[in-house]
Amino acid sequence: MISIETQKENGHDLLILRGEVDASNSVILDEAIQKLINDGSKSILVDGQGLEYISSAGLGVFMSYLEEFQERDIDLKIYSLTPRVYEVFKILGLDQLIPILPDKTAAF
Amino acid sequence: MIKLPPIHIGKLSMLLAILVWLALLFVDLVRLFGIINTIDSGIADEFTLILEILFFLSVYSFYNYSINKNSQNEFLNLIWRAASTGILSVGFFLLIRLLYQLLGDSKLGEEPFLLNFFYHAKFAVVSIFLISSSLLWKHLILYQKSKQVVKQWQAYEFAMLVAMFFIFFNKNNLDYSFLFGMVILLGLGLVLSSNLKWIPYLTFKEKWKSLLFLSLIIASCIYLFWQTLEFSNSEIYPVNLTDNLFLISLFGFILIYAIFSFLVTLFNLPTSSVFEQKLTEAISFQRLSQSIQPGENEEQVLDILMDSCMSASYADAAWLEMTTHESRSLLQDRSIDPETRNELTDLIGKQKTALEWAAKTQTEKLSPITLRLSHPKFESVLLVPLIINKSVIGKMVLCKEVRDGFNKEMVNIITTFSRQASIAVENHRLLNQAIQNERYQEELKIAQRVQKALLPTRLDHNAAFDICAYSNAADEVGGDYYDTFKLDEDRFVFIIGDVSGKGTSAAFHMAQMKGIFQSLIQLDLGPAEFMIRANSALGNCLERNHFITASIFIIDTRENSIRHARAGHVPTLMHSFANQKSEYLAVEGLGLGILRNKQYEKHVEEKTFMYQPGNVLVLFTDGIVEAKNEKSLQFGFERIRSLLEISHHLGPHEIQAKIIDSLHNFVGGDGMIDDDYSIMVVKFNEYQKN
Repeated sequence: MISIETQKENGHDLLILRGEVDASNSVILDEAIQKLINDGSKSILVDGQGLEYISSAGLGVFMSYLEEFQERDIDLKIYSLTPRVYEVFKILGLDQLIPILPDKTAAF
Repeated sequence: MIKLPPIHIGKLSMLLAILVWLALLFVDLVRLFGIINTIDSGIADEFTLILEILFFLSVYSFYNYSINKNSQNEFLNLIWRAASTGILSVGFFLLIRLLYQLLGDSKLGEEPFLLNFFYHAKFAVVSIFLISSSLLWKHLILYQKSKQVVKQWQAYEFAMLVAMFFIFFNKNNLDYSFLFGMVILLGLGLVLSSNLKWIPYLTFKEKWKSLLFLSLIIASCIYLFWQTLEFSNSEIYPVNLTDNLFLISLFGFILIYAIFSFLVTLFNLPTSSVFEQKLTEAISFQRLSQSIQPGENEEQVLDILMDSCMSASYADAAWLEMTTHESRSLLQDRSIDPETRNELTDLIGKQKTALEWAAKTQTEKLSPITLRLSHPKFESVLLVPLIINKSVIGKMVLCKEVRDGFNKEMVNIITTFSRQASIAVENHRLLNQAIQNERYQEELKIAQRVQKALLPTRLDHNAAFDICAYSNAADEVGGDYYDTFKLDEDRFVFIIGDVSGKGTSAAFHMAQMKGIFQSLIQLDLGPAEFMIRANSALGNCLERNHFITASIFIIDTRENSIRHARAGHVPTLMHSFANQKSEYLAVEGLGLGILRNKQYEKHVEEKTFMYQPGNVLVLFTDGIVEAKNEKSLQFGFERIRSLLEISHHLGPHEIQAKIIDSLHNFVGGDGMIDDDYSIMVVKFNEYQKN
């Protein structure tokens, strides 16, 4: 189960994730990001505090937008990840491509 | 032991009947001889009467047996049997009459012994006709019998038995007791004669035949009765055999039932087409329910439906439309040209009730509707929906040239037909689906077999180390991959990989990975170089949101070195024999397919480690780390590490088994590991280098 909430704060778009992202619901995450891009967002901040688990399919969603973000000059940052989820990002090496920050203030 | 032959009731009773008849004849002739010569023969009348009753009983027994034996008799055959017996009896009587006419006034013509002989023969013939006919009537009466009718029949048979003995008390006087007995027996016969259920089952043609046979029976019955009455007037016979309550009542019964049957058949003639129609409907219904054979298609079912409905409603024309994916397609039409059909469709489309009917969403309540049309040829139509699984799959339109041509009974039967046909079509579709699923399962099994063959059965190694590996897919096929390669006598390559996602798509990418590994590794590339090339190759094959993680090791048993690169894969565990500690190898590296450009080169690291005999490498995939128990706890890196630390002294197979067992225990007996997982264990030995 996943729940995604979007908020606007100081010109940043906050994407607040809660629950687990796996192959069955990664489409929801994909749609949420696609919507932010279409709405012309320039800075997407992903709040991972409530994110309990992310599977390779969920990682694949972030990964698939990396090039597009670079081309469109969109800023993507992830913050407040739990240690377990952070480890997943780190093992795959995504921490080298996406800034992963300890908390919200660091992300702003 | 004397072996008795099986008792044949038919033959036995026939033999008995003949013997009894001969005895009867003999006794009466002796008595006649006595009378003529005025000598008292000393034979009581009762003796004759007992023989007569015995004769009745044996004839009854013979016919009961012979009719029951041919129990498959059709009604018409039964009636024909009675009619033919009647004709033969009448023929016999006429023949004797002719004989006596020829004899004229000659001495032989008045010979009492000959007359008596013929009297006995006539008596036998009449008895046979009456008893056999009554038994045939029994079959007709007891058709579709109820308990009550059976009881009535038994009562009648019992009363008839009593009537046979009546003669002992009455001495054949036509007194009130005789009349009283006759009235009772005729009354019972009348009650039984109301059982005529067999008549509606005759076809029109059969009814005409049965009318003919019945009239023959009635005629012969009347003739024989008249002849019998004549006997009672003559005085030449010492004991009257035919003025018997039993025989007279039987005459009445045979005649009454024949007349009833004749009249009922006659009055049933005009309605027989309706009954035949109902029978045809029943057969159509059966055909509709049987036509769900595999190999047959829907059209055959719908074909039967159309024919059945048209014949049930006497429709003049009809067509059938099937709705598939928002488009309508005409499947069948009968006696109607496209032009008329279009005209009718337009007319139907203009009717408000038809539109409301078509727009109904609650399909379970949708039933056929009748419409009046102002069309020059067809004035009424019936719209019949075909519903499968609560959705309308098609519509049948029946047209008639008369106004209001469809009555309630027709609509009812057509509703039943269309439901049955819908069930048949649905069953047919479900069956096809099941067959299709079966085929997919079969295909998946093949895929599983092919994928198993992609994993090596023999792992390359030399005496310097032992190696084993195991892989398990969550579905039929999976995305985990491991492989080995022998570069030369001392140098070996191991790889373990994991495609993102699982199932069939992962399995395809896993096969690509195998191809890439087997071709690139022959170039003798270093681990980092291998990852860079693999990333660039995969960049063109992977879908945008898919990636592959991998760890590669190149072992040099001459130098005791391990060169290693990691592309986003879970870290590899190494037990150091010298330190008696197990630790994860710390190497940075980005998964394959994430950066699909030159940038990737910056994100891959290569390290070289030295090993000693007794060291152990454990390579695995994230399926093991992320396996959860019922409390949603992950198996985790630490559990694997501590397991290796305590079991490093074991052989590689034992270590592998320990980890997998521990994993299963952790997840719990019923818990399923819902991801692919793989493991490879390498243990280094003491090794004498050349």
